[in-house]
Amino acid sequence: MEQTLKKNRADRTPKKDKKITWSLIKDQSQLIYMSVPLLAYILLFAYYPIWGWTMAFQDYKPAKDFSDQKWVGFKHFEFLFKDDNFLQVLRNTLAMSVINLILGFTTAIILALLLNEIKKIFWKRTVQTISYLPHFLSWIIVTGIVATSLASDGIVNDVLMKLHLISEPIQWLSHGKYFWGIVGVSNVWKEVGWSTIIYLAAMSSIDPALYEAADIDGASRYRKMFHVTLPGIKPTIIILLIMQVGHILEAGFEIQYLLGNGLVVDWSQTIDIFVLKYGLAQGNYSLATAAGIFKTVVSVTLLLIANGVSKRLGEERLL
Amino acid sequence: MANQTISPGPASTAAVSRPIGRSRLEPILFNTFNTLFMIGLVIVTLYPFLNTIVVSLNAGNDTIRGGIYLWPREFTWQNYKAVFASGTIYNAFWISVARTVLSTLLNLGLTTMLAYTLSRKEYVFRKPITLVFILTMYFNAGLIPGYFLMKDLHLLNTFWVYVIPSMISAFNMIVIRTYIGTIPESLVESARIDGAGDFKIFIRIIFPLCKPVLATIALFVAVGAWNSWFDAFIYTSSHQELSTLQYELMKLLSSSMNSNSNPSVANGIGVKTDMVTPISIRAAVTVVASVPILLVYPFMQKYFVVGLNVGSVKE
Amino acid sequence: MGGKSKSIFRLGVIMLLSLSVILSGCGGGNNKVANSGKGNNGNSGQVTGENAANGVEPFEISVFIGQPDQQPTPDNKIYKLIKEKTGASFKFEFLAGDIDQKLGVMIAGGDYPDMMTANQKLTAAGAFIPLEDLIEEHAPNLKKHYEKYWNMMKDPNDGHIYNLPNYGATNADVNSSWYSGPAFWIQKDVLAEAGYPQVKTLDQYFDLIKEYKAKHPEIDGTPTVGFEILNYDWKNWGLFNPPQHLIGHPNDGGVVVKDGVAEIFADKDFAKQYYQKLNQMNAEGVIDKETFTQNFDQYMAKLSSGAVLGMFDQHWNFQKAEDVLITQKKDNRTYVGLPLVFDESIKDHYKDRPALNLNNGFGITVNASEEQQIRIIKLLDTLIQEDWQKILAWGIEGEDYIVKDGRFMKTQEQRDQFTDATWKLANKADSFFGQAPKMEGLFSDGNATDGAAQPEEMQAALRDYDKEFLSKYGYSTYVDFFSPAPENDIAYPAWSVDLVDGSEAKIANTKLNELQTKFLPKAILAKPGEFESVWADYVKEIGKVNIKAYEDRINEVLQWRKDSWTVK
Repeated sequence: MEQTLKKNRADRTPKKDKKITWSLIKDQSQLIYMSVPLLAYILLFAYYPIWGWTMAFQDYKPAKDFSDQKWVGFKHFEFLFKDDNFLQVLRNTLAMSVINLILGFTTAIILALLLNEIKKIFWKRTVQTISYLPHFLSWIIVTGIVATSLASDGIVNDVLMKLHLISEPIQWLSHGKYFWGIVGVSNVWKEVGWSTIIYLAAMSSIDPALYEAADIDGASRYRKMFHVTLPGIKPTIIILLIMQVGHILEAGFEIQYLLGNGLVVDWSQTIDIFVLKYGLAQGNYSLATAAGIFKTVVSVTLLLIANGVSKRLGEERLL
Repeated sequence: MANQTISPGPASTAAVSRPIGRSRLEPILFNTFNTLFMIGLVIVTLYPFLNTIVVSLNAGNDTIRGGIYLWPREFTWQNYKAVFASGTIYNAFWISVARTVLSTLLNLGLTTMLAYTLSRKEYVFRKPITLVFILTMYFNAGLIPGYFLMKDLHLLNTFWVYVIPSMISAFNMIVIRTYIGTIPESLVESARIDGAGDFKIFIRIIFPLCKPVLATIALFVAVGAWNSWFDAFIYTSSHQELSTLQYELMKLLSSSMNSNSNPSVANGIGVKTDMVTPISIRAAVTVVASVPILLVYPFMQKYFVVGLNVGSVKE
Repeated sequence: MGGKSKSIFRLGVIMLLSLSVILSGCGGGNNKVANSGKGNNGNSGQVTGENAANGVEPFEISVFIGQPDQQPTPDNKIYKLIKEKTGASFKFEFLAGDIDQKLGVMIAGGDYPDMMTANQKLTAAGAFIPLEDLIEEHAPNLKKHYEKYWNMMKDPNDGHIYNLPNYGATNADVNSSWYSGPAFWIQKDVLAEAGYPQVKTLDQYFDLIKEYKAKHPEIDGTPTVGFEILNYDWKNWGLFNPPQHLIGHPNDGGVVVKDGVAEIFADKDFAKQYYQKLNQMNAEGVIDKETFTQNFDQYMAKLSSGAVLGMFDQHWNFQKAEDVLITQKKDNRTYVGLPLVFDESIKDHYKDRPALNLNNGFGITVNASEEQQIRIIKLLDTLIQEDWQKILAWGIEGEDYIVKDGRFMKTQEQRDQFTDATWKLANKADSFFGQAPKMEGLFSDGNATDGAAQPEEMQAALRDYDKEFLSKYGYSTYVDFFSPAPENDIAYPAWSVDLVDGSEAKIANTKLNELQTKFLPKAILAKPGEFESVWADYVKEIGKVNIKAYEDRINEVLQWRKDSWTVK
């Protein structure tokens, strides 16, 4: 099955070294009409403002005109990279981001597969609807509940004590070693239902004939899951994964900011928090811009690598 | 692809040799496990929202003591009264509705159209245009250049600033494109043989077939548009009549947090039990802000059915 | 489906068309980066020209308030009165969200309303006009109001006055029964049970707490907590500030000022002495195990359970917890503020005199037309007069307060209304008044300018428990626990010094705060044997920060204040 899928796709790949000729353009004029105005749109709204990146090389002061700004070369990049905490902050960002990526993907896919096995439509929709509710709560509410649950007299310690797994309450939020895990689990809790939606939509494109055929072959439920459903949503999974790899330096800041404290600061501070403290809070737009450029460079590099790897493996790719 | 069958393999032989008892027991075990798992999930994910509703119905001063879980200790409507007391949120509600509906329609139409063109492997500009859009996900020009752009386009303090800058999302485009990739090419081919151009193919074949993914994207866009407050904050905040629900509620919440330090309130004169507090206002605000948009999802769900698509093609 | 998609498609085409119109419309604007901004007078107040019945010319002032608030109701009675009598109406914009982001785009675009609340960023960007001449020429009452403070209001950088401070220009010692500032707080019952002792030193304080905790391991079923230290988000004074008070200095923020020279104290021996004491107390189980991980809500929940015996905090910060205790009839679990010092030879200096609230209050922006500038300053001049001040502070006589034998008072119902946010939106002009120049102290008829400071109102606020409690000490209010505030040092307070965005000084301050947040909890929770080594690490790390830049900046401004504020 997988092989046939792949073959199919290979057939559709265009021949290389296609020359752009007038007749080709004329032939594809409708495609061009449908996409080029939108290209112009995105160039204006997303690309044109990039002139603002010049701020990273200035001591930008919003009150001054562009021509009066002071140019300072790589000063702000140096401030960022030479800070004693930079490596630690980078490590924290990467760690939490990778944990989020792995936990986020696996839980959402597993939940989607399990939801797909529910036969009662009403129950299925109820579970779906409820599981996506936490997405609509702000981090301040979610972290409030997390903090309450993890307190000495919170439900987590209560349950562990009752099960005699621990003899006295654990101070979950005062040990750096727990922090990344807490962030990861909180993220899953808040977003798993929401992330599932996209897979459920992808599943609806699977041909029921495949299930029927599998049934005729007497395939077990697990076989169908792994050999029909999962391959059916694989393109979506891989595309999302590639896109997410590009966001590896986005570990968020709200949750870390709200759950963090002096005792775990060596584990909780992310790049975004650092930039907030030394950039925006200091009126230093230049530093924030420099950090943004750094993140973009890393993102695009990783994105291209991920895309290349996927291409090598003969999987779906972004470009 | 529609006519594929599963390749015969070990599966079929295994099925034949499998003892009958196991195959009957197994679904029961699985379903039991699955149901229990889902019940657990429902409890865990329902709790935070339920708790927020309960807090919103509990007297503010009492909530400070903590320990409010599943039932209000001192029931009150006071928090909701405080939210609805500000006359500004009614107009803001309609602004939010308008921007959400308009954004959703525009996004669906334009993003899907773009996704279709970029799904055509023969399209000469496919790669460069795809790249241009994908990169937009990974950079941010910054607040101030964006502000200048809106200013130069005369979008500041207009309703359109909520809609025009976000008509297309690269992420959504990719999701739709991936979905279009799973639609059998044969459908497009046969239409082309019948003499249909790309435009017609997009409208007649692709668009209707994308219902499930369009439902998803509609949800994403609608939720995003409904929840956004930053554009109101940066671009239209001096025009009260353009304010959105989320931004009004945010103002309400911030001001309740701010009034904590007001000395005349803090004097301890005339303490009232139903005084609103930031925690309870936050809860009420969350409920008011999210309930309208929560209602969208159930309507989208009927599109998430396996085979919905291919079935309709065959008819 | 076909029909639906067709209509969606049609919409798409329309959209594209309108987009192309926009694109062509702004074709020339694309290169305007350099000179965009400035000179946008579009939103200055519009004069409608029509005259109100009583002959005043109506005009609208656009106002940006740099803090969150709610729009007053359209028929708010005070704003209505202002409009009726002076012609002025306000178009408010309140901040919700990050002020740095908002001001950043406002400054970049030069998009200011007529009047804005002060902010160092705005002043630095040249958003405000100098007010001296305007006041001299058009505002005799304002001039009189600020006469004593004229020099203090000047900007250290260029000597102009850009803002009208909203608090701190007093005409009498503001006497309140309610102390809102920092102190070591102790539960009233701890003092009551110990026989109402005088508590002066840190050691006495912790001895009392230890004793009480040993005797009452639980309060109303909750385990007793000896001492809480709140350090959450920007609320860090519970951890950072006590050492300066313990050596008898007032609140100067991150520095102590000795003989006019400021230096940080975070790494000094007296700071170490305090944190080592906390380390000991932690070892003895007095300090809450969760104290450094809790958020503000959890802290408030603990205080309002009545099981917390003491903490260092500012009163306004935990006031709501006391409200909860009172409604639960746990008056004995509310707190008394104590001005503790290291030893009895040190005189406490917690209570201070109000200082002029620099970098606060309204300024007029460069976008206001000259005509509008004059109208605004004249309006503020009118409103600073006593009859208006009574309306703004107390309300309308007979409706919002009553007068008995010339004394202003409130009925219980009127007091309740003043705590009701919804009522205030329709009946108070607090959004404006909070930022406006105001009289503080006494009106000429002897009534207090602030309801909360009126002696009759103070007495009404005292409950029976408090009256008895205070009588044991022979005090009439809880403020009597504190030494009277001495005359402020001329340059006081150092915390109001602007460190200048992005400067070495400000970065050093941020770094110092980071180190304190990280190391102080560690030091306090360390095993007593390890305290020294944690402290040594901490001091070493502070040594790497450019503290000198921070201290120099503060001293520079303190010196400037001394030079320019002393002489009339």
